[in-house]
Amino acid sequence: MTPLLEIRNLETFYGPIMALRGVSLEVHKGRVVTVLGANGAGKTTLLKTLSGIMDPEKGKILFEGQEIQGKEPHKVVRAGIVHVPEGREVFPLLTVEENLALGAYTRSDKAEIARDRDMVFSYFPILSERRKQEAGTLSGGQQQMLAIGRGLMLRPKIMLLDEPSLGLSPILTQEIFAILKKLNQDEGVTMMLVEQNAAVALDLADDGYVLELGRIVMSGSADKLANSDDIKSFYLGHANEGARGERRWKRRKTWR
Amino acid sequence: MTRHDKIPAMVTVKGTAINAEPGSRPVLVDGADTIPRLFQHRCKQDPARVAHREKTLGIWRAFSWDDYWNHAKWIGLGLKRLGLKRGDVVQILSEDRKEWLYFDMGIQCVGGIASGIYTTDAATQVAYILKDSACRFLIVENEEQLDKFLEIPDGAPGVEKVIILEEEGLHALEGDRYMFLPELYALGQDEEKAAPGSFEAEIGQSAPEDVALLIYTSGTTGAPKGAMLSHENILAAMQAGLRELAVEPGAEQLCFLPLCHIFERNNSSYFPLAARSIVNFAESPETVFDNLREVSPQSFSAVPRVWEKVYSRVLILAQEATPLGRLAFSLAMKAGFARADAQAAGKSLGPIKGLAVGLADMLVFRNLRQLLGMDRLKQGISGAAPISPALLRWYRAVGVPIYEGYGMTENAATCTVNRPAANRLGTVGPVMPGVTVRIADDGEIQSHGLTNFKGYWNLPEKTAETFTADGWLRTGDIGRVDEAGFLTITGRLKDIIITAGGKNITPAEIESRLKFSHYIADAVVIGDKRKYLSCLVMIDQENVEKFAQDHKVPFSDFASLCRAPQVLDLIKAEVDQVNIEFARVEQIKDFRLIDVLLTAEDEELTATMKLKRATVEKRHKALIDDMYRS
Repeated sequence: MTPLLEIRNLETFYGPIMALRGVSLEVHKGRVVTVLGANGAGKTTLLKTLSGIMDPEKGKILFEGQEIQGKEPHKVVRAGIVHVPEGREVFPLLTVEENLALGAYTRSDKAEIARDRDMVFSYFPILSERRKQEAGTLSGGQQQMLAIGRGLMLRPKIMLLDEPSLGLSPILTQEIFAILKKLNQDEGVTMMLVEQNAAVALDLADDGYVLELGRIVMSGSADKLANSDDIKSFYLGHANEGARGERRWKRRKTWR
Repeated sequence: MTRHDKIPAMVTVKGTAINAEPGSRPVLVDGADTIPRLFQHRCKQDPARVAHREKTLGIWRAFSWDDYWNHAKWIGLGLKRLGLKRGDVVQILSEDRKEWLYFDMGIQCVGGIASGIYTTDAATQVAYILKDSACRFLIVENEEQLDKFLEIPDGAPGVEKVIILEEEGLHALEGDRYMFLPELYALGQDEEKAAPGSFEAEIGQSAPEDVALLIYTSGTTGAPKGAMLSHENILAAMQAGLRELAVEPGAEQLCFLPLCHIFERNNSSYFPLAARSIVNFAESPETVFDNLREVSPQSFSAVPRVWEKVYSRVLILAQEATPLGRLAFSLAMKAGFARADAQAAGKSLGPIKGLAVGLADMLVFRNLRQLLGMDRLKQGISGAAPISPALLRWYRAVGVPIYEGYGMTENAATCTVNRPAANRLGTVGPVMPGVTVRIADDGEIQSHGLTNFKGYWNLPEKTAETFTADGWLRTGDIGRVDEAGFLTITGRLKDIIITAGGKNITPAEIESRLKFSHYIADAVVIGDKRKYLSCLVMIDQENVEKFAQDHKVPFSDFASLCRAPQVLDLIKAEVDQVNIEFARVEQIKDFRLIDVLLTAEDEELTATMKLKRATVEKRHKALIDDMYRS
């Protein structure tokens, strides 16, 4: 089966700095794929290159078998790829409803749009309550919900989520990830999720990749990743206390 | 010195008096017949002279021979106060640092035997060595190494005191069994006040035939064995080094390979004692190349893996250069290779080619050498594993002459070496002064000389097996000596494969050819009692990743890189290339890639990053079975 999204040997630069050093990965339809990595690993760059905000120097991005690398972002959006950026970035002076309407900007089927808006409200009831409120006055968690809801309004074939847990309380993170899970299960939304919070990401995802310094160092099912010693000690914070019960040093990563 | 009835004739080499006749006894270096005496002499000779440099908080700081003396003295006396007796083994579990050498000397000066444990060893291996050497005093570097000691299941009851070099993170540590380095120094200072001159008196008791150090050999089969090297062994090695290696007074050196291994130990602990060179300690294994550039050593000895890495880095840099830069580099390489080949053939270049080489050197190679930190290097040494002649030729072309040598722990790493005046690519050179080599009927290389070790610690039977009836050392390697006396290694005796067809094959010969490929880091040839030969290949991660990226081969992690059909084709082409050079029965019919990225911690690799045949065959049995299934 051809993957919905396939990335081959992607290289992206910030001026002279090579942020992606040859990344290849696949996302199959209906799956949730997470890309884990620390600060500066290249996660956001990867999403920006996918959605056309940045152009790759080398490599291919195949979406439904078509090459889309280097295309203008609006064309990428029309192809069905929605990027929910890091830090929400909702339109603060527009109301919740207006933000959602903007999400459906490329569509014209009014009845369907209204149906989708109700669907978004059913997943995020709080947004329904505040539909007339300016988005800038929402809490961080509500803004994140709005950003996801706005993305859904496009009926995307794949959603690229950049750190939805950023700046949110653990409870709110749990809540949002539960909704993402439901969206994937009930609506069949394919997702590519970039996260630093490995615990919630691996819980939600089917497959995962670990990105370090612009290269993929590990890949596999989310279960396999969650059980790897390196993931446990470097991403899940499982401390091996050692013989003295207060170990400070870190083991070397082997990625297996 | 009156300790010896007869003093042999001496000669001064590089400012140091050594035996005029290599191999004559007693072996004297500047009049000293043991390591502690030479150490004492050197420290008193020129105390303010720089002995070591270490980087702290980003700045290289110098430490003098006087520092060396004082700290070694406090360590020696401190250990003595703790109850160290002459002949006791002290184990050092630490990365390279100046204190490693302070301990090496301190221990030996009071009659102890200094031995090192690899920091990459697992707790079980540490436990084995501690028990085997009846170690009472263990030196650990830091928290990480201490935790390894604490993981030993039976608690290593023989160890009475653990001395810790770095206090960081260990303030809560309690118990009489542990001591931090400053406390040991204080103890030594106390002892010195109580009994002045006792350290010098201990040095006076040292004798050439005493065991100075134990080197645990990694042993590709079975448990590690402690090879006992005497003071005389090491002094004989120093003399050979002064004569034929780049052991130079005042030369800057870089210490970065494990000091528990004889190769780095000679280079960084003993040869500097003979030559008064300056040892710079690399900050960590990860920073070696940066440190190399900072230090720009005059003398640099490394294992093939390191030379290969430097080469790969240059190739990658060259490929990523501007088109003009690439053109200049390829033109320069052409001229450089012409020079290398002319040198190898002993011919001189014509005036036009000579001019081209001069230009290439001035415009390209000089910068390159500066970039690598090899602009002052006159005689690089490669040892401990076979190196590709093509790689040596490349280095020759860029103006960095490297000479391949051969030796093993059991002859204090002193056997043969190529040198500026006598160099043949593909051989390991003529014998070193004072050493004799012969080839036995079964092809085994046997060596004789004062560098031959005393035997294995507590293993008289193994020791007896290692020597022939007439006292020559069985190296276990097979090889041949050409008409000019150059030795070529062809394999290991016990690795000889006898195929199901009854054909004897030395795998090392095939394996070295495979390794010469930039894409193959190491390989193990299989085929004992089998119908045909096959091999397991460990790919060179950096170069194969680069290949994949350049050829648009998608891969994610290391395993997926090893699965990529194009990578398999690439390795197949390399294997086919090697097969051409061998007879049909010696050809590799099938291969598999080891798809885990092995690190020094893995049992499959030796300290010099070579694959261990027995372990690899056991761990990757499934891959091997798969090749012989049909």
